[in-house]
Amino acid sequence: MLDSDNAAFIQTGVSISLASCGPDHLPNMSRGLGCKLLEGVNQVAVFVRRSQSQALLDHIRHSGQVANVFSLPSSNRTLQLKGIDARSVPFAPADLPVVEKHLADFILEVIPLGMAEAVVRAILAYRPDDLSTVVYTPCAVFSQTPGPKAGERLG
Amino acid sequence: MGLRLDTIRECLEGVIPGHIATCDGEGMPNLAYLSQVQFIDNDHVALSYQFFNRTRQNILAGSPVRLMLTSHLTGAQYRLALAYLRTETSGPLFEQMKAKLAGIASHTGMSEVFRLLGSDVYRILAIEQVPGPTVPPPPPVVNYLTALRRATGRLAGCGNLERLLETALDCLGSEFGIGHVMLLMHDEARGRLYTLASRGYPQSGIGSEIPVGAGVIGICARERIPIRIGFMTSEYGYGRTIRDGVEADGQGDSLETAIPLPGLPEAGSQMAVPITAYDHLLGVLYLENVADLHFGYDDEDALVAFAAQLGLAMHHHQVAEDLAEDESGTAGAPPAPAGEPLLIRHFAANDSVFIDDDYLIKGVAGAIIWKLLREHMVAGRSEFTNRELRLDTTLGLPDITDNLDARLILLQRRLAERCSFIAIEKTGRGRFRLNVSRPLQLSVAAPH
Repeated sequence: MLDSDNAAFIQTGVSISLASCGPDHLPNMSRGLGCKLLEGVNQVAVFVRRSQSQALLDHIRHSGQVANVFSLPSSNRTLQLKGIDARSVPFAPADLPVVEKHLADFILEVIPLGMAEAVVRAILAYRPDDLSTVVYTPCAVFSQTPGPKAGERLG
Repeated sequence: MGLRLDTIRECLEGVIPGHIATCDGEGMPNLAYLSQVQFIDNDHVALSYQFFNRTRQNILAGSPVRLMLTSHLTGAQYRLALAYLRTETSGPLFEQMKAKLAGIASHTGMSEVFRLLGSDVYRILAIEQVPGPTVPPPPPVVNYLTALRRATGRLAGCGNLERLLETALDCLGSEFGIGHVMLLMHDEARGRLYTLASRGYPQSGIGSEIPVGAGVIGICARERIPIRIGFMTSEYGYGRTIRDGVEADGQGDSLETAIPLPGLPEAGSQMAVPITAYDHLLGVLYLENVADLHFGYDDEDALVAFAAQLGLAMHHHQVAEDLAEDESGTAGAPPAPAGEPLLIRHFAANDSVFIDDDYLIKGVAGAIIWKLLREHMVAGRSEFTNRELRLDTTLGLPDITDNLDARLILLQRRLAERCSFIAIEKTGRGRFRLNVSRPLQLSVAAPH
């Protein structure tokens, strides 16, 4: 579903967001703190803070449906993945370097755009024991880069 | 009491883009970035509708909506639950958002991509702050309540329109810390705005004009709403727009184009605020800055409140001048000036007036100075009243709503900038004196 270019792209200093919907169809969302690929490129694992994502995780448990957006602030390149088999699993401490690298990459990405580093660090602050991992198999991939091809299905 | 949107409006400026989440009929979520969130009031926001995409399909199908907004000042994140109400495709809200979007599009290299199709209006159902650390916001550059209090007091102490306008621009600099500002008056009959005062430019631009509806200033006047743009955009650059507007409506001859409009060549931030009183547009305050995102919602609120005070005071002085009972002074004719005569030429087609070969002014102000100079030559008069100008139907003064005193100030300033031998001096309510210190030779020029 994900080609190698997009697979590499979502693991750079992108802004990551994750959304799901409740039984009443009211969506909820949270920021992700990095991601990694499982089973080659068949599955995506995104790290979220439980304290900020209770509704999101409840909805995922309820429906398994998830929308996941990755966007690079400097270029506006944006990708949305959808999944119908999402589940939340305990965060593995071995994934901490992935989170740390994402934070470092994101800071490098947005500081040149004029963001204050202290603000960025506040937005992405986390405690390892507050992290949870959402795993899903992308079933659809869309380009959401603004332009004529926005919304185009890539896979 | 829950969180009020007016306390977190920095999140709407788009420094950190907001997210919108919707849901389709099968419960599949959709996430998208927002170009723009517009504050309407504490219960309503508007989002820009630019593309018919999945988000829009879901909204029109009745999806509940969740926004996530982030403060670039504190790092605080907020989630809002919204309900879609309607889409506006014209009018004040649409124009405000269209102008702002033009700046955002230009800034992000999306000028050919972002086009506002509509302003989607939503009711805010709930606002929650996402748990997490924040940093203290930087202290504000200006305390706007103090600035407003002091400025309002200073406006109240002004005894006439000229003093009022000077004080208003002084206040914008000293109390509000604004370095580049123009004050333009509304010429309702001609659908124009003319610059009456400015600060912070090498050339004052007094007398320069812009059509209602053109650029940031003209749209502000047409819609009578503040227009605020946070990034440089050629689409709303008034220098180019003014010419386009003139050519488009075929009024190139009647618009004042000989006097260039002042302005920063590359303004990052622009804001135009209407000056109104009793449902009448009196003029526009235009402010700009080289920096991006220099003006925020608080600046806009403060300037709108200030312009409201200014509008009422301008209205008061206009009425006072028009009701003035003072008659023209009876002082004898001044001694005849000596020296080479100044050649004053008048072109009747557009009432343009030249002193020697230098352009002075045209339009109503041109007709006024021509009348005054003729009266001075023929009858030796120097003392005049506003009332006699109002009663003179040959001047083409629009009607009583026109601010005659503003036109006299324009003339006075234009003369002060262009000719040191002719001056207008106010001598009382509704009265003024024409001072001429060189002999005059008047000439009615043949049309070109």
